[in-house]
Amino acid sequence: MQKNKAHEMICAVRARAAARGINASFSLHREMSHLMRIGNNSVSLNTSENLTRLDIEVINGRRTGSHTQMGDVTSEEYVEKALQIAVDKAEVASPKDYQPISVVVEATVAENAQYDQSLEHLDPAFKADAYQQIIDNVGAAYNFSGSWSSGSVELFLVSTANDMTMHHLATDQDFNVVLKHPQKKWELRQCKSGWRLEHFDVDDVIEGFRQLLPTYEDHAGFKPEPGEYTVVLGSSALAEVLMMACYTGLFGRSYEEKQGWTSKNKMGDQVLGTNINLVDDPAEDKTFRFGFDMAGKVRGNFPLVKDGVMMNLMYDTMTAAKYGRQPTGHTGGSPSIVMKPGSASPDLLEAVKGMGRVIYIPALHYLNIPNPSQGVFTGSSRFNAVLVENGKVVSPIFSSRITDSFQNVFGNVRLISSEAESVNLSNTYGRRAPEAASMPSYIVADKVKITDSADSF
Amino acid sequence: MSLSADLKKQILQNIDRVVSAGAEYTDARFYTNDDSETLFLYDGNLEANDTNFESGLGVRVLYGGAWGFAATSDAKMMNACFDQALQNAITAAKLVRVPLHMAKKPGHTGHFASPLKQDPFTVPLKEKLDFLSAIDARLKEDWICKRYVYAEFQKKNIFFFNSEGTQVERNLSNVFAKMMVMALDTDGQMQRRSQELFTTGKGTRGYEMLTQPELFSTHAERIKDELSQLIKADALEYGKRSVILLPGQGFLQVHETIGHPLELDRILGYELSYAGGSFVDLDSFGKLRYGSDKLSVSAFGSIENSPGSYGFDDEGTPERDYLLIDKGLLVNALSSRPMIDEANQKAGRTVFSESGGAARATAFYRAPIDRMTNVNILPGNDGTLADIIASTKDGVVLDNPVSWSIGSNREHFHFSTEIAWEVKDGKKTRILRNPSYQGHTVEFYNSLSAVGDASTWCVYQVDNCGKGEPNQIMQLGHGIPVVRFDNVITGERK
Repeated sequence: MQKNKAHEMICAVRARAAARGINASFSLHREMSHLMRIGNNSVSLNTSENLTRLDIEVINGRRTGSHTQMGDVTSEEYVEKALQIAVDKAEVASPKDYQPISVVVEATVAENAQYDQSLEHLDPAFKADAYQQIIDNVGAAYNFSGSWSSGSVELFLVSTANDMTMHHLATDQDFNVVLKHPQKKWELRQCKSGWRLEHFDVDDVIEGFRQLLPTYEDHAGFKPEPGEYTVVLGSSALAEVLMMACYTGLFGRSYEEKQGWTSKNKMGDQVLGTNINLVDDPAEDKTFRFGFDMAGKVRGNFPLVKDGVMMNLMYDTMTAAKYGRQPTGHTGGSPSIVMKPGSASPDLLEAVKGMGRVIYIPALHYLNIPNPSQGVFTGSSRFNAVLVENGKVVSPIFSSRITDSFQNVFGNVRLISSEAESVNLSNTYGRRAPEAASMPSYIVADKVKITDSADSF
Repeated sequence: MSLSADLKKQILQNIDRVVSAGAEYTDARFYTNDDSETLFLYDGNLEANDTNFESGLGVRVLYGGAWGFAATSDAKMMNACFDQALQNAITAAKLVRVPLHMAKKPGHTGHFASPLKQDPFTVPLKEKLDFLSAIDARLKEDWICKRYVYAEFQKKNIFFFNSEGTQVERNLSNVFAKMMVMALDTDGQMQRRSQELFTTGKGTRGYEMLTQPELFSTHAERIKDELSQLIKADALEYGKRSVILLPGQGFLQVHETIGHPLELDRILGYELSYAGGSFVDLDSFGKLRYGSDKLSVSAFGSIENSPGSYGFDDEGTPERDYLLIDKGLLVNALSSRPMIDEANQKAGRTVFSESGGAARATAFYRAPIDRMTNVNILPGNDGTLADIIASTKDGVVLDNPVSWSIGSNREHFHFSTEIAWEVKDGKKTRILRNPSYQGHTVEFYNSLSAVGDASTWCVYQVDNCGKGEPNQIMQLGHGIPVVRFDNVITGERK
């Protein structure tokens, strides 16, 4: 780990706090963020943000308090002042009816396996030039918009439980470009994700548009009537739905509190189809890897669903403490959810050749959960959605809504692609928090419920 | 917290420096403090007892028709932050097909402070916890599985300067709160009832708003009582019927299907890669029958005590009270200065005469974008909730969102709510569980058949509206009466 003055100041305050008998954890979050936004074929925003946050949590018996201070750590007094705010809050807090689990750094960790200096310090002109190439090559008559976020995150975690430290330094990028036809209004998208600059390839983006455009230019939209369809979910749509399924069914909190779709099941029950395998694998390079969580636990391979059978639930420290369980490395940070690829051809059109009419939905917009207990989700198609007949793309489809259950969709999966893709799930609300999942490039599911469709894209 | 004379001098000097370097326009927002406090009691356990203090500078530079932005949490880096924003704008200007402009405006000075009697940050933590714990105790019953009581307090002191000479100080304060109870129904499914802190639109918005019983705490017994009936209720069957939205649901309907589609940056295509576009285009203004003639919608609405009332936006423009929809006709949008300039250029005519004062940023480290202020349905002439129920043959009264999912251009939607009351032949008959409804926006608002009077109108606060890249959370409000729509698809098809 690099020598770092801020880290040394935090460790010094940590040592004094430990000597005073204070139970505290300190985490430093530093981000270098850059984002270029495109609108109407121009750069509409080019923004740089260099931000530092210090998070301190104090446990005083069964009382807890926490404080976050934004700003550079310039002195030990700065850290002491923030610590005192958390100490004071914990002092006044009402006690819990369970004993909170303290942050204990399990091992000294210094990880930077997903760090690329050239991405961290990428010249924004590189991004502008790439967008320029895309617009020039695909056609300035279309309306292009998009965003390209890149940057780095540094985490440093210590607690008063011991002298060990955890350090994480990594880069990430999330590239999107949307092409909209100014009159016909359809929207196509290309996206790229990764932690290295080389994970972006402008020629690949241009080629992706070129493959899609003839279908959209030459055919009218198809409006599916409500009913059951064989639906192909692309990796982005698949990740959206699976992450919702995880949040509402495979996290300890929703399970223990009988709020989720697995609440009536127990470990070892068949909850999804026998061809569904899910794991949280922080060693998977198609995800953004975090080797530890914010409770100081070292994260490892963690099976969630094996052959459709529920194997494990993810517990944060608060839920574990409340329900008498063991935390599983899922306190804060980002999981690395991986769905195991299948054996179907990576060529989707080849794979669905004998299936007649199928609806291909690569991405879903605004997914939500009308009924968590029943596992019902709803969301609508967006970007690149097409009708396929006997292995040939025949027309784009209008904005169509799926309202179905996780159990039904993942209980009727006929094919799973043998190719895996990285799907960027990051958001930049508040602090930079990279998250990605590794998903098969598509699944084919039967009897999926389309419940509504618009007359437009 | 005030801005030191030295910092102010440095900011003004940097603005001059950047303009001298060729910038068309520059503004800077210095947050001396942006504080928040979150308290969350879950089953009586204080699961969140958090404070978050931020301060820093955000600089926006318009150069060659393109925006550059930079932010720093370290005041010592001020000069570098201005340099970075300028450099970002210069780089952005290399790819400009539609140059952005700020129509020239004279500079002005201003000050706005949220009206409040008691700053929540001066109230001792113990007093706040005692208040929330007392509500939690009122929610507690053996048959209730889960209960939560939540409050969030926000305080921001923002100093705005721009190259036109405008200087505006704002002291903004927000109070949000919510309570919820959950219990298992006869099928073992979790049901819930909740109530958020709301306002009448009049008065102050300090800690005293939270402690007014009629705005929050007194609803504890009602939601418990409703939950006790809900867990024994039948499920809503699929079918077309009238839906009567109480303000606790109506605010979200308006937020998602009027507010968002009328943000001008969405209409112009600036949100396509994230939040989505809009079915509205520039030709729609003055032509599109967005709803029936009972639908009139305002922006801001001169509401005194909402998070959508902020005096001046993050371009220094005074917040403006105007109609978005006038008796069903779409007439205006939520807008900022550069967006109206671009829209008018694009349309080749003056679609918008002035900024809607709706350029808002969530924090110093984000650039302002077009946001909602308060987006409100004006009260109508169809009487009270009882009057509207009495004139309904077959319908459901719906309250409080469980889920919401909207098409990417806001052209269609699906909502599920916590509770429904069946209405048959003008009478409320029974409670129904698992309600949902869906529709297509323009068709839906044109089926608006009743709008409650002022006695049914109140302001719901939104503390978590997400939009923009980098992502931004915004706080705002919606003044909503009871509203009825006819012939709506409700429930889920078997």
